[in-house]
Amino acid sequence: MTILLEMKEIHKVYPNGTAANRGIDLTVREGEIHALVGENGAGKSTLMKILFGLEAPTSGTIAYRGSPLKLQGPRDAIRQGMGMVHQHFMLAPSLTVAENIVLGDELRRGPLSMFRDQLKEQDEIRKLIETYGLKVDPLEKVEHIPVGQKQRVEILKVLYRGAKLIILDEPTAVLTPQETDELFHSIKALIGQGHTIIFITHKLREVMEISDRVTVLRAGKTIATLETKNTNQEEISRLMVGRDVLFSVEKRPAEPKDTVLSVRRLNAVNEKGAPVLRDVSLEIRQGEILGIAGVEGNGQTELVEVLTGLHPASSGEALYFGENLIGKSVAEIRAMKVGHVPEDRQTSGACLTSSIAENLILDHYRNPEFTWGPFIHKKKMKEFAKVMMQLFDVRAASEEAMAGSLSGGNLQKVVIARELSKNPKLLIASQPTRGVDIGAIEFIHREIVKRRDGGAAVLLVSAELSEVMSLSDRIAVIYNGEIVAVLDNDESLTEQEIGYYMLGVKKQQKEVAAP
Amino acid sequence: MKTSKTLYLDITGIVLAALIALVCGFAVILVTSSDPLAAIKSLLVDPLSNWFNVGTILNKAVPLIFTGLALSVAFQSGVFSMGAEGQLYVGGFLGSLIAISLPGLSPWIHLPLIFVCAMIGGALFGAIPGYLKAYLNANEIVTTLMLNFVATLGTSYFVNNVFKDPSSGGYARMEFFEKDLLLGKIIPGFSAHAGILIAILAVVVVHLLMYKTKLGYELRLVGKNSQFAAYGGIKTKRVIIYSIMIGGALAGLAGIVEILGVHGTYKDNFSNGLGFDGIIIALLARNNPIGVLVAALFYAYIQVGAQTMQMGSDMPRELAVIIQVMLVLLVSAQAIFTYLKQRYAKDQKAVK
Amino acid sequence: MLNAIWNQIVDLTIVVVLFRFMTPILLAALGGLISDIAGVINISLEGLMLLSAFTSIAVCSGTGSWALGIAAGAAVAVAVSYAIGFFSIRLKVDIIIAGFAVNIFGSGFTIFMMNKMYGQAGNYSPPDLHNIPNVNIPFLEHVPVIGKLLSGHSLMVWAAFILVAFCVALIYKTPYGVHLRAVGEAPDAAKSVGIPVRRVQYSALAWSGLFAGLAGAYLSTGMTSMFVKDMTAGTGFLALAVVLLGNRNPIGILIGSFIFGLASAVTTIVQTIPGSQYPTQFIQMIPYVVTILALVFFALRKKRRHALAV
Repeated sequence: MTILLEMKEIHKVYPNGTAANRGIDLTVREGEIHALVGENGAGKSTLMKILFGLEAPTSGTIAYRGSPLKLQGPRDAIRQGMGMVHQHFMLAPSLTVAENIVLGDELRRGPLSMFRDQLKEQDEIRKLIETYGLKVDPLEKVEHIPVGQKQRVEILKVLYRGAKLIILDEPTAVLTPQETDELFHSIKALIGQGHTIIFITHKLREVMEISDRVTVLRAGKTIATLETKNTNQEEISRLMVGRDVLFSVEKRPAEPKDTVLSVRRLNAVNEKGAPVLRDVSLEIRQGEILGIAGVEGNGQTELVEVLTGLHPASSGEALYFGENLIGKSVAEIRAMKVGHVPEDRQTSGACLTSSIAENLILDHYRNPEFTWGPFIHKKKMKEFAKVMMQLFDVRAASEEAMAGSLSGGNLQKVVIARELSKNPKLLIASQPTRGVDIGAIEFIHREIVKRRDGGAAVLLVSAELSEVMSLSDRIAVIYNGEIVAVLDNDESLTEQEIGYYMLGVKKQQKEVAAP
Repeated sequence: MKTSKTLYLDITGIVLAALIALVCGFAVILVTSSDPLAAIKSLLVDPLSNWFNVGTILNKAVPLIFTGLALSVAFQSGVFSMGAEGQLYVGGFLGSLIAISLPGLSPWIHLPLIFVCAMIGGALFGAIPGYLKAYLNANEIVTTLMLNFVATLGTSYFVNNVFKDPSSGGYARMEFFEKDLLLGKIIPGFSAHAGILIAILAVVVVHLLMYKTKLGYELRLVGKNSQFAAYGGIKTKRVIIYSIMIGGALAGLAGIVEILGVHGTYKDNFSNGLGFDGIIIALLARNNPIGVLVAALFYAYIQVGAQTMQMGSDMPRELAVIIQVMLVLLVSAQAIFTYLKQRYAKDQKAVK
Repeated sequence: MLNAIWNQIVDLTIVVVLFRFMTPILLAALGGLISDIAGVINISLEGLMLLSAFTSIAVCSGTGSWALGIAAGAAVAVAVSYAIGFFSIRLKVDIIIAGFAVNIFGSGFTIFMMNKMYGQAGNYSPPDLHNIPNVNIPFLEHVPVIGKLLSGHSLMVWAAFILVAFCVALIYKTPYGVHLRAVGEAPDAAKSVGIPVRRVQYSALAWSGLFAGLAGAYLSTGMTSMFVKDMTAGTGFLALAVVLLGNRNPIGILIGSFIFGLASAVTTIVQTIPGSQYPTQFIQMIPYVVTILALVFFALRKKRRHALAV
């Protein structure tokens, strides 16, 4: 088989210093389905942006059909015969399917005509639909068709532009199992017509089902490229996660006492009405850390938001010392000594254009200790901020510095400081160490364990399996909005074991999962 | 609060923008005037050449300070209201109604009552677009623009038909207020009326409100990052309504102070754009109350300068518009300010 | 009074007045529509109209050609629209602020120029102005009813109606129209297939300038034969409201302009009836109140749909 694409030693360092790609090799053969797998942040999307001309690599070479490739933008990539189906659809909702497909490459009634030749366009599209079996009505508006069909429109878009190499970026993330089956059908049809596919995913079942070869990325590097038929899910997941646990946290065995939070049959839906939490039941006790493991987007965000009053629940209850949190406002829940470290500190966790002091006071500005009538006691606020910055080792010019001027680690320490400053009885920490440096990670982990030892209950949500495993006393695995397993985190528990649950391969029996 | 460096950069940028805008005005004078130097002199020097003109500047600045404050409060909470004009009419109208309908009341009770009613009128009229934005997500730019017309036309109807002073002839106005209700001169013989003192008081109050109180903290937080505010337990919808209502109250004050200080009664169409000038003031001041005071004084200075120029040269006063427009555009040009800050940051690094 | 209105309806004067009032609204709204579709909301229609109204009457009275007058007025409005684009797209001034600035500019600068060029402060009415001609249809003009209905309207009235069809074709039948809509709705999607987003936005602003320019020219050299300071008197904002109500579609714009034109026409007729004490202010208010109510209606409908989904 001839080699279609060869990317060698690709490095990409962003201006802010983040090294997203640190030496990636990728070789794609003509006519194959090549899976590209890796955890979040492994460098998949950056690599594809480079391939599609959206980003320029810092160093490295790309050869396409044997000749070196220099791309100025997506237009060049399209001209070379590449097409990308983005994870977030690039479609204009009020335009018809046909208009979206031909967008930017419309056909005219004649070489001098001003007008679109809609009939001819539709003919072309119908031919494509027939050839590849991608059923969709060209005259329907995109806003009226289901997600699975939108994806077909995206695929038709790249086919219409004559793409030979098609990149599918996590195409099944938004699909139902049935739609996924249909997609796989189409992909096979594409291969039958001589196309080549790069299939980005982190669902290993799909890798096994559809791909010919698989390249595993980890931390910006290529770990291995394997023939799919010669490998198995266990091996791939081991390569993806990596054996070495990066850091270990010193902690004594937990001494759990009374139940702090008892979640019973909690259900919630997203804005579109699709269920995101299904009968979630959990129990957290004083002095223990319950870790939630799972591939991102399986309901973790919503679980945290429901418990903190930011997202409505459709049914179920969450008893906090016997009192139901569901239906209470954010302010009420905060006043009940529930601390919340949100997953996105840039938007939810901090106000970047406010001072550090103003960020720290968020939980206390109504507290009589810091107020004087309608006024905020500025001096006390500043003193409080200084103390907090010292306690939590926040390195900044002063408490008046803008939060936005802080590094990721220091900003996260501000968030943690604020949420711990009221001595929470329940701490909900979502991705507490995402994107922070090693030093800050250790600091934050020690703080969390310290709180546990001090008698607080901790709900830890993290996309980093290693973090969940090194911190938690018990681990609940969430998959598709459902708690599929609750496991004791002891010596015998392995990452592979959790991985099976995370990827939906295995599921605990209900009676075991129920507390 | 901003760190002193960025504040310094912002002020430098704004002053530069003002200078460039003035230069644009000079350029037009140079091209169109037969005696450009006389025109420029009468524009820049004459407003300060005698006490009467200085008083006029202060009087012109008074309503601008109020409307500037009104919009700065709304803008700081992320509400892009253009409705100060309408709120000003409604507030001024309501205050005036109280002024003419309770004759004989002691001014010590009457005057505060007039102020309170003007504020309530403006606040309630502001609450409409506030509610529509917070709970129905209706674009406040459009609703406030439309409500401005509703207010102007509605008050115009009443002052033309229901509450018209029969002796006012073709010019629609209410009957003149009792003399002791009007705002007197600060110093006898000096043309500035007491409104400027109320305006300065308002600047102080708004400054305290925005930067020292719990409500101000909430207002600014919602404007800066409403997601963060919601995460912190702040009821963002309610805060949005409060902010536009506070703005409305200030706009109502603008109306009534202008009436009590300058007109002596409610006159049809008396504002003629004060609410829109307030938008410019708030933009120039970067929504800072102290900045509003400075910007309003500068703006009034240019306006009075334009008048003295019209009298002292062959240039019409509308020249001021060119300066105003350039000022607005330059001060709002985020690209320029980002560029300046990046340059500054680079220079700092180079020094290190 | 109702009697007087009824008489005007019967003798079709109201149609003539209606056409006169709806033409500038319609033209300006078509311009606003195109920029709105491309996601660059142009709130400066009012200012653009004033600038064009003044320019066109100045050029028309100077050259004696109404066609040159229109061309000059439209050219100025297009140029200023480009300036809005430069400030908002390039210098990142909020487009609302840029439009707002142009509104102030249009009002003040026209008075400034009127003063400088003609020494007039309030209005300028050149003698013997060659206005945009009226179209008298031979034979038809003498037929009762139909004659008054179809004949004797200004050329610009006809142009406005034809331009509605032109906009339908432009927006729905040309590739450019699809690009406009894609840029306004999903700029990332447009960019990903290589559509030059900025250039499309500039062009949309230019269209809005052109149309607002025609509307302005009609005000001074068609509807009247003079320039009066601030003569638009809110027409540009009415047009903006029409854009919102017209459901982003030229036919909707036509209907909206008809309604708003009618409100203006009735106001004028009521005002001209001697001794009338009727509250014209409330009739004038109708378009603005309707706009707010429509916004509320759309919002409620959206909310209900949302609620149903949950």
